[in-house]
Amino acid sequence: MSDAIAVGIDLGTSNSCVSVVTPPGQPVVIPNEWGELVHASVVGFLEGGAVLVGNEAKRRMADDPRNTVSSAKRIIGRYFFSEEVRRARERMPYEIVEGPNHGVRIRVRDQLYTVPEISALVLKEMKELASTHLSREVTHAVITCPAYFNDNQRQATRDAGRLAGLEVLRIINEPTAAALAYGYGKGLSQKVAVYDLGGGTFDISILELGDDVYEVLSTAGDTYLGGDDFDARIVDYLVGRFRDQTGIDLRKSRWCMHRLKEAAEQAKIRLSAEDATEVVVERICKDPSGKVLDLRDRITRQQFVSMVLDLVQRTFKVCDEALQSARLTASDIDAVVLVGGSTRVPIIREGVAHYFGKEPLGDIDPDHVVAVGAAIHAASLMGKDAGTVLLDVTPLPLRVATVGGYTEVVLEKNTPIPIERSKIFTTSRDGQEKVRIEVLQGESALAAECESLGSFEFSGFRKANRGEVEIEVIFEIDNNGIVNVTARDRETGKQANTTLRLSSGLSAEEIEEKADRLRNVRLARGTG
Amino acid sequence: MDAAFRVEVETLASILDHLDYFQILELEPGATYREIKVAYHRKSRIFHPDRFLGHGDREFTAKVLAIHKRITEAYTVLRDEQSRRQYQERISGPERERHLRWTLQQEEESPAAEEVVGTTEKGRKLYGAALAELAAGRLDAAERNLKMALVFEPNNPHYARKAEEVARLRKASLQEGSLSST
Repeated sequence: MSDAIAVGIDLGTSNSCVSVVTPPGQPVVIPNEWGELVHASVVGFLEGGAVLVGNEAKRRMADDPRNTVSSAKRIIGRYFFSEEVRRARERMPYEIVEGPNHGVRIRVRDQLYTVPEISALVLKEMKELASTHLSREVTHAVITCPAYFNDNQRQATRDAGRLAGLEVLRIINEPTAAALAYGYGKGLSQKVAVYDLGGGTFDISILELGDDVYEVLSTAGDTYLGGDDFDARIVDYLVGRFRDQTGIDLRKSRWCMHRLKEAAEQAKIRLSAEDATEVVVERICKDPSGKVLDLRDRITRQQFVSMVLDLVQRTFKVCDEALQSARLTASDIDAVVLVGGSTRVPIIREGVAHYFGKEPLGDIDPDHVVAVGAAIHAASLMGKDAGTVLLDVTPLPLRVATVGGYTEVVLEKNTPIPIERSKIFTTSRDGQEKVRIEVLQGESALAAECESLGSFEFSGFRKANRGEVEIEVIFEIDNNGIVNVTARDRETGKQANTTLRLSSGLSAEEIEEKADRLRNVRLARGTG
Repeated sequence: MDAAFRVEVETLASILDHLDYFQILELEPGATYREIKVAYHRKSRIFHPDRFLGHGDREFTAKVLAIHKRITEAYTVLRDEQSRRQYQERISGPERERHLRWTLQQEEESPAAEEVVGTTEKGRKLYGAALAELAAGRLDAAERNLKMALVFEPNNPHYARKAEEVARLRKASLQEGSLSST
């Protein structure tokens, strides 16, 4: 293990990035053969079986929307019936279908893929370009995920890593990784806020940085808020204006919407530097008489700000929550680190500066900082001694289902990990042989509003009269934020058998089988 | 890694279940919040499993992890005023040994978890949907979902009880409606 090399991978909704710490200890962001440092998390399935991943795949998206999968992270680890999947089915041009156990499958060129497989292809690209750059096979990685990801999403992310043929050393939270990159080698003693607005998610983490221990005090987030929502506001505006002018509803065509979304994203980026910008999408559609129309419009920064102001304000509600949980106020924060491409938008920077009463740090690249932090952690995990000890927390309350569709909290949110907590259950029938426990994560006391992590069935304990057998169920959250549940007879200490785990995740056999399939996938090289 | 540390880990792991949280963190019973935090950091620096990830001896690393989890557990209970007070009361009592770890008790009235959450995937889903409808005040939809849930699990007493309750509520609201309309 000591001679193996480990990279850090930021697996983003829109973009991914890979970094490595090479001796004597400087982290570098790894470029692909075209010198690009940030790679679109877009997977294009080409004719003939090859797969194209990255910016080239994104550029080709408009030409082949049905065979190009983007933003898979929005639906990773989600059930088919979830709101996120419903929205993705509406918005995405590729086909999303239901799989076993309420899982999600993506159908491309008559093949079904799980969502972790799609993410695995992005990771495989990162792995290969790192291997090329370093002239040696990269085998180990630390992969990041949003702090607010639940257990299902974390497991699916880890599965994706394994499917890509990587030994996943750790899943770490994006804001924590960013803090690690920020504090690396500086010997700071500070309270830091990491404001992470990515393509699809928003996270805020409050950390206390000590000499060689970084403690996450709290984290909060919104998995339904990201830069894509900013783009969507511009799209809404343009669609409305175009309809007013021509009477044509562009929403009816996925192809039109896709081109419009691209134009909106570009306009948003230009508006970071300019006060106003022209939006032009040529030959977007035909009118009823068959005449080809262009979309030409103009957006000022002021207009853009008013379109997205409520989204920006929503992030500060989440910041309030995180600060409160850490028992701090905004003025206690010594430094603010910005993460995610969306934080380049001036209204965000201004809002953050105003909220925390200080300018966010300017010398950190928000697109690279997470991958760099992951690489630093990867290097320290590979060494004999960890450089900095990371003490992270679980973002969501862990619950068990109880009477009447309600739940009880087993571990509060912002509990430090790794941790164990046990709960004693007694049998309620004479001779009861099984106990089934449904484990959930979420803020609501109602089971229906929480995310189910699965049902565990325990058996193999003594048969006795009701109330006589005390079953100790042990809930563990490990260093990856992943939940494990075991049970034992409290009196005899005998471990119970877990006979069942229901969730939409992949079994060990499925991972092996799918890893085999992915190993044979040829990654096409683009033309830069 | 030096032999002394190995001995320390072995020893600590073997007596872990006999130590209270103050002993785990090496703190006086009157320790302040700051002292608790400092102890948590100090202990984590020594026992964090990340430091031994590349260590080949699985048994040894499992012990380190067990110790670190207990350190975290101690910190979690002691840093909170309320749980700390309760914990200190418990370990000063006659059943000290039984209360060295913070354990949640099942609430008295809880029936078997198996009945509560249902025995079929469909039943559970429909029951959850029914509760959500009920919370939103849509009694018709709640009743429909419960009836469907009972198709999958006809003998689940909780589904049946809930269905009765909803039917009652519906009847009441219908009567109310007819009264107010006259």
